[in-house]
Amino acid sequence: MRIGRAAAAWLLAPALAMMAVLYVVPLAIYFVNSFHLFRDGRILPVWTLHTYIAFFSDPFHYKVIGASLRLALTVTALAILTGYPLSYALHTRVRNPSARAAIALLLFSPLVVSVVVRTYGWFILLANQGLVNAALRWAGLITEPLALLFNQRGVVISLTHILMPFAIFPIYSVLGRLDATLKEAAQDLGADWWQSFVRITLPLTMPGVVAAALICFTLALSAFVTPQLLGGGRVQVLPSTVYNSTVEINWPEGAVAGLTLLVLSVLAVWSLQSVLRRLPSA
Amino acid sequence: MSTVAAQEVRVEAAEARAGALRDGLLRTGLGLGLGFILLPLVIIVAYSFSSVAYGVFPPPGLSWRWYTNLLHQGGFQGAFLRSVGIGLAATALAVVSGTLSALALVRARLRGQDLLRAFLLSPIVMPKIGLGVGWFIFFARLGLQGGVVPLILAHTIVILPFVITIVAANLVGLDPSLEEAAQDLGASPPTVLWRIVLPQIRVGMAISALLAFIVSFDQVESSIFLTRGENNTLPIEMFLYMEKWQDPTIAALSALLIVFAGALVAGVVLISRGTDLRRVLFREAASPQPQRSR
Repeated sequence: MRIGRAAAAWLLAPALAMMAVLYVVPLAIYFVNSFHLFRDGRILPVWTLHTYIAFFSDPFHYKVIGASLRLALTVTALAILTGYPLSYALHTRVRNPSARAAIALLLFSPLVVSVVVRTYGWFILLANQGLVNAALRWAGLITEPLALLFNQRGVVISLTHILMPFAIFPIYSVLGRLDATLKEAAQDLGADWWQSFVRITLPLTMPGVVAAALICFTLALSAFVTPQLLGGGRVQVLPSTVYNSTVEINWPEGAVAGLTLLVLSVLAVWSLQSVLRRLPSA
Repeated sequence: MSTVAAQEVRVEAAEARAGALRDGLLRTGLGLGLGFILLPLVIIVAYSFSSVAYGVFPPPGLSWRWYTNLLHQGGFQGAFLRSVGIGLAATALAVVSGTLSALALVRARLRGQDLLRAFLLSPIVMPKIGLGVGWFIFFARLGLQGGVVPLILAHTIVILPFVITIVAANLVGLDPSLEEAAQDLGASPPTVLWRIVLPQIRVGMAISALLAFIVSFDQVESSIFLTRGENNTLPIEMFLYMEKWQDPTIAALSALLIVFAGALVAGVVLISRGTDLRRVLFREAASPQPQRSR
């Protein structure tokens, strides 16, 4: 059933009204604040680029931006490199549909649990006397406990775990739409497993990989809870700058840091989406 | 002739061995991956019964003390009830307004439709902490500080895109002939919507509501500036507690939350029984591609 324009306008009205008041206006106020000035613990409602200039001439902020981008890239790569084989194994090696559904559900189930809880789980696992260090010591790989908390390592491990379901989701769903006859045809024509994987399966699942990268990268870039709790103040990322500035009532600096974060996210989304459009789809 | 046959047999045997090895590797990898994914949740439950306050594996003894300790932490109980209330209210707002928008986006031909859709879905990619600061300044200017209203409104915006995406995906997959038949038999457009369209997207709507509730329940960055102690939500109460203490009281609470989450997942399984979740969630993504004829 087609819906006419007038009816459509009424249907869209509640959502658009909420979006206008509760999304556009707050973002606009936020943007305006980035042009204000913070001095002596107060915000002066003047129009100036001072906060931008101060923010971008401080080498510390470049270090933080670099650290955020590096963290997001590392974690995205790790999530996809582990998530792809997992999705592939689940799709090709589990034949029983209900077993497959059950495993998929288990793989996605951490998403239902708060990020704070999942981060806490890694806090227990990665402690000096925790399971990971105990296992490494038992295996004879280390004698002294490996410092996995309050540094980059713990944050990387925990964020990879948090983002893995987001990597598996799109890849697994693209695998499900793959036309199995293509691979059979390739194998009938004499291609071995590796050839048919590299020439057929991998290219056709690239849209899922790029979609996974898009979700993981933007989520990793704006992750706050995990770096804050597992980094112990030693892992400074852009969201921590936004948080600290806002807590210190320096809204203009918080706004500039937040807008930098936003621009980086939008650039990532835009470039990955243009990659996605050029890919052949399954 | 026989040497060629022997060679073929050898090649086939080698291929079979490689295939078996690949099978084994993939299956082992799947098991390991599953273990990795579930490990933090399992360890929390184990740790919540630890008899000591410090993190050590294996714990020296078992006890219920962290659960009894949790009962005396009134802050967590209030925060849990507040989070559930906020989640339910925001989900109701988002499911109603989101379903209506999804209908318009899928069934009407509008000017600037792609732009409109991108706008409605854009909160997904916005860094939540930036939105949080925006809402903090906005509600402070309005004099609406404290309480649950700002949190409900903020969460509604955060979860609206999830509802629109899932409901729209479900609408795209519907068979138009049912609606045509109803209209031919004299049903008015609102009747068709209510009696024909909505019943068919019930599962999708329920799943979108569950997902929306879960996302609302997990908000930290978007809400941390809107809470001031007396109106903390559960994840924020936990986050602030963890910044100061790390005793297993949090593990006991987390273990209860894992059980709560498990019940929600069981709910999803029950309402979506018989439907492939991959199809419910991704039908839209699949449908623009014309079906390849075999």
